[in-house]
Amino acid sequence: MKIFVCGFGTVGQGFAEVLHDRGAMLRDMFEEEAAIVGAMDSRSYAYDPSGLDPMALVSRKKESGKVGGSGYSDSAEVLSSCDYDVLVEVSPTDVKTGGVGLKNIRCALGYGKDVITVNKGPLALRYRELVDLADEKGCIMRFEGSVGGAMPIINLCTEDLVGERITSIRGIFNGTCNYILSKMDKGQPFDQALKEAQQLGYAETDPTNDIEGYDSACKVAILANAVFGRDVTFNDVKITGITSITDEAVAMASSRNMVIRLIGEVTDTKLEVGPRLIPKGHPLSISGTLNTAQILTDLAGPVTVSGRGAGRTETASAILSDLMAIMDKRCRSRWAGSSSTIPR
Amino acid sequence: MIVNAELFVKDLPGQLVGSLEPISLLDGNIVEVVHNRERIINHRICINVTFEMEDKEQLCRLKDVWKSKDIIISQLGSVYQTYSMEYMLIGSFDGGMIEDMMKEAGRTISLDATDIRYSSKAGASVNRTAMIAVKTRSEEDLDMLDRFLDQKCRTSGITYVRGV
Repeated sequence: MKIFVCGFGTVGQGFAEVLHDRGAMLRDMFEEEAAIVGAMDSRSYAYDPSGLDPMALVSRKKESGKVGGSGYSDSAEVLSSCDYDVLVEVSPTDVKTGGVGLKNIRCALGYGKDVITVNKGPLALRYRELVDLADEKGCIMRFEGSVGGAMPIINLCTEDLVGERITSIRGIFNGTCNYILSKMDKGQPFDQALKEAQQLGYAETDPTNDIEGYDSACKVAILANAVFGRDVTFNDVKITGITSITDEAVAMASSRNMVIRLIGEVTDTKLEVGPRLIPKGHPLSISGTLNTAQILTDLAGPVTVSGRGAGRTETASAILSDLMAIMDKRCRSRWAGSSSTIPR
Repeated sequence: MIVNAELFVKDLPGQLVGSLEPISLLDGNIVEVVHNRERIINHRICINVTFEMEDKEQLCRLKDVWKSKDIIISQLGSVYQTYSMEYMLIGSFDGGMIEDMMKEAGRTISLDATDIRYSSKAGASVNRTAMIAVKTRSEEDLDMLDRFLDQKCRTSGITYVRGV
């Protein structure tokens, strides 16, 4: 399995490290090498059809700030000239246009390549177009890490809970907001809690996407499309951020044994992100940077999951699970006509 | 659910408390009690009590307790399910504005009970907080109120936080 990684920041490097670590396991399971043949960052790329050393790529990026020795002007041109089986698209999210990530995914699918992405922009804006293109070209597109990082939710709903009628998904989909609100529970004012989140690396220098609810809204749109089969975009989500939550409001909620959390909610008709009053002890009242989601199903009842919503290795773990699912499916297709058993 | 019960207890000291205590012990909430000492039948005094109960299962347990205490239940009526929700509004407003908003809501939505509390810092902060606890008789009423408050708050620049 030849892999091309677009985006070699924290997540891209994390994936390279995880692939290096789990290479032998994949070889044992699928009797096939999973090798990075290409890697691209915003300025450069490296390509070797016989495979690149993932750890060497990480070292070069750390030392020189570039993943490869060749420059480029159009990422799609590079992708169309390289031979690979699956694109791992982890370039930065652009929720306004979909950015370079959208272009890369369109290009890969157009050439019949499978795609794994954690890039929310393209999925929150052009989900239906990309899924239709993947279907048309017979490609697999997987994006588990785009919602909740390491917290399993998309594949949980579409594969493990496939026989259920899911009536709603409510959850905390942004660890930064949850960290700030948790700190406010303990009496810190909003500005101070935000500053602390920035110092600890939980919040960006420009925290708008997190605190205004845009990041959560992308995830809500992705869930609505992937789990509920809706045809919506980021722009259809009713969004309220947490910037107007005062310490007084948090204290008042606490006096009624409740906390305020930024909750994303999806049903057949609802598509919302906003602060909600959550009773203390409720699964959605968790503190810190964790993500959590409560899935309401007709047969299994409520199913609650939680996990780390971001992070180098955590997000890479979601990409690895998608990669293994693709390798499994491709492996099965290859062995379908053969009398031999599928390797395990 | 809100329940209205007419009970007959023996005309002896402690019987009134003895009939109400099980309601609290079963996590019920007593809304109103009328101790009708003038209505005596067969040496028993009439008590009319209105209370909230979690569900029918709890109500059945309460009936069993009353029967075991030799309390006669002559009527058990006006039983209906209630749905409660709490809302928080944050912004620049005064009490009159919120009360008018809830009155307007009450014209189209059946609100069984409404309780509004405000943050104490009325003059100290530009932004105030109001906590509104509401009980309705249907989930549809709660949905309607949710839509009403959401729209009103958006047009008034107030942050709207609802319960789950």
